[in-house]
Amino acid sequence: MKRSDKKPLASIPANGRPAKKKSANGRATVTPPSRFYGAPLPGVKPEELSGTLVVIEGTDGSGRSTQISLLTEWLESQGFAVQTMGLRRSYLVGEDIDALLAENAVTRMTLALMYSTDFFDQLERRILPALRSGLIVLADRYIFTLIARAAVRGIARDYLHGIYEIALRPDLTFWLNVRPEVAFDREFKKSQTISYWESGRDMSLSNDLFQSFIRYQSMIKREFEYLSKRHGFLELDGESSVSSVNRVLRKRIASHLGIRSTQYKPSHALSHLWR
Amino acid sequence: MVTSTPDIPSTTELAPVKQATSKRSYPGALVVVEGIDGSGKSTQLYLLKRWLEISGYRTHFTEWNSSPLVRSATRRGKQRRLLTPTTFSLLHAADFADRCERQIMPLLHGGYLVLADRYIYTAFARDGARGCSPHWLRNLYSFAPAPDITFYFRAPLDVAVNRIVAGRPKLKYYEAGMDLGISLDRSESFRIFQERILNNYDQMVETDHFVLMDGTVRVNKLQKMMRQIVGEKISLQQFAPKKK
Repeated sequence: MKRSDKKPLASIPANGRPAKKKSANGRATVTPPSRFYGAPLPGVKPEELSGTLVVIEGTDGSGRSTQISLLTEWLESQGFAVQTMGLRRSYLVGEDIDALLAENAVTRMTLALMYSTDFFDQLERRILPALRSGLIVLADRYIFTLIARAAVRGIARDYLHGIYEIALRPDLTFWLNVRPEVAFDREFKKSQTISYWESGRDMSLSNDLFQSFIRYQSMIKREFEYLSKRHGFLELDGESSVSSVNRVLRKRIASHLGIRSTQYKPSHALSHLWR
Repeated sequence: MVTSTPDIPSTTELAPVKQATSKRSYPGALVVVEGIDGSGKSTQLYLLKRWLEISGYRTHFTEWNSSPLVRSATRRGKQRRLLTPTTFSLLHAADFADRCERQIMPLLHGGYLVLADRYIYTAFARDGARGCSPHWLRNLYSFAPAPDITFYFRAPLDVAVNRIVAGRPKLKYYEAGMDLGISLDRSESFRIFQERILNNYDQMVETDHFVLMDGTVRVNKLQKMMRQIVGEKISLQQFAPKKK
């Protein structure tokens, strides 16, 4: 496993950073990249979005939620207002997806489209308003998890990218990469069992839960490797300590936002996360 | 647009994009009616269905926006007016996907004649009128099987709008396209919205091989034409009851 947190920051591919271009008079000018992958969402003016969108991706048990709690506290301590988003949190269909998952009767295309409804409801009604107000949005998973999950179930990647091309392009996308075996240990510790969907049991991979989990998470990981190349993720070693992952995240976010200090010590309320 | 990376192969990929255009792999057939509200399409499809049923053919009728799956979400979204053009479109696509995967596809594979009151062209026309990109919509529904016949019932805007307004005490918010902010007057908004939808339908006549039906023609005469076209384009014998 690569120790990505020891890599010099300069070698990390810049995702969504301004591209340098030569203009007619020979001087290098900076062309801001589109904030959308394709045509923007109907009715959205990209120039109004002054906030910053930071995405943390990774499979189950990669430590995303922990890092988001810590980053929220750090950013707030620096005086930045933070809004968070995650899967199945929309008012519109969040509960409906929970119900569908509980039933196990839903088919893959329907589930993929319900998740995209959930995503765009949050994006349009919570995230875009937050970005218009200059907030920092921390996303616990984004379109990439949705694409990966649907792709391993046999839905064409180009189809999925077509649906999400109207989504907002993140300013920074971090990928907390962990081996499936490590994810298994962490998830099992957390809930003393492994859930139906986390182990991809709808895909009939194996009757053994451990095998099913490992095979499913390995498939997801392969999709992430592909997505990482396509979208320029900043890959971090999710197996290293919480504090060292957090340090790299802070450094990279600080340099994006122009914050000078990356000093941080979690408050008493969050100190239990600091391992 | 996201740039594609063709050098990474996928083993499990099913291509919904190709499905719509490739040669069909099932013994069933799909007949679709499209048109704006008040164009007479539902009446005609009902009569076609009765004819086929009475003759004993294996048929199944399906309509747009009918599965219980998204009913609560649609209701919630409409009541509180939370739907944007994108979420409105996606919610209907999810609903259609459920019907497609659990009804339409199994029935087509099982050799049924499937009759659909509205199909993906409704989404193209209506969501397009709301501002969704046509390109995005085409991709979104690319998993849908292509119809064998698409009847497009066309009635002049005034005729269609008057049929609807006369039969309904109050037009609903989204139905009237009030979310677009075209006009504060509901009937006025409805009229302009329907006009946009009508224009979008008209543009698909050639590209999507619609069979144009004049919605002002008398009901029984129109039905006669419809039955004749179905009989010509589909070999109905294959849907006849199986003899023991």
